[in-house]
Amino acid sequence: MRFTAYVLTALLIGMAVGHFYAPDFGNLYELMLYALIFIIGIDLGMNFRPSELRKLGVNTVVLPLGTLVGSLLGGLAASVLLGIGLKWGLAISAGCGWYSLTGPLIGQYSAVYGALGFLANLTREILTVVFYPLLSRRLPGNAAVTMGGATTMDTTLAVMTKFGGREVAVVAFVHGFVLTAVVPFIVPLFLQL
Amino acid sequence: MNIFIPLLAGVLIGYLLRIRGRKASLDVPMSAALLLMIFFMGVEAGKVNIDAGWFLGSSIVFAVLTIAGSVGIALLVEGKG
Repeated sequence: MRFTAYVLTALLIGMAVGHFYAPDFGNLYELMLYALIFIIGIDLGMNFRPSELRKLGVNTVVLPLGTLVGSLLGGLAASVLLGIGLKWGLAISAGCGWYSLTGPLIGQYSAVYGALGFLANLTREILTVVFYPLLSRRLPGNAAVTMGGATTMDTTLAVMTKFGGREVAVVAFVHGFVLTAVVPFIVPLFLQL
Repeated sequence: MNIFIPLLAGVLIGYLLRIRGRKASLDVPMSAALLLMIFFMGVEAGKVNIDAGWFLGSSIVFAVLTIAGSVGIALLVEGKG
């Protein structure tokens, strides 16, 4: 719980700094991401046993597929609720949290929906970081992993590893990996509608 | 840079540490890297400054409903499994 407070504090301070000073940190965000992924790699290398992957079984495909379908259904509901065209709503939700890809992809067609695609998927990632520690204890199995969508193989993997444990880390990585392979094809597909 | 490069480098180093029987506590560096990354993510989010109310509200609606949809399907699938 204390770490969640640290996460929220770091996020709020960052947003305030970004809003009032708009500093240019270059690619520091990216560098921190790579540092984090490197540390997670060491953790996996020290503790991961290939036999654990077999335990995932059919979940390897079913879980990410369910995440994508559920995300699209959510996007459909959001489109109706907000009065946004289905094409845009589905494209935004097909991003599954991958804001750095979804925003620019949609932005090629509409600057407004590109910005919304960026913010909506960034918000998904932020909500995952903030609420995963709470929901992972309340939801059965690996359901909470799906919150993060495609980000579970990188940016939200650390939160999942820290609060869900090493077994969840493996599930989360495979889940994110499958979605990361699929999302770049699905978002443009909806933009063609 | 491809995300797989630092990941595979880490896995290799972790594996080498394991076969040499060495243990490393990664809790503190992982927490520090995570907090810094979230700070920088916040900075990027804070810079976005267009029709804040509508964008923020719509983003939250999309984020909440897409998460709810994904978790809902997962619960259905895992309930059957």
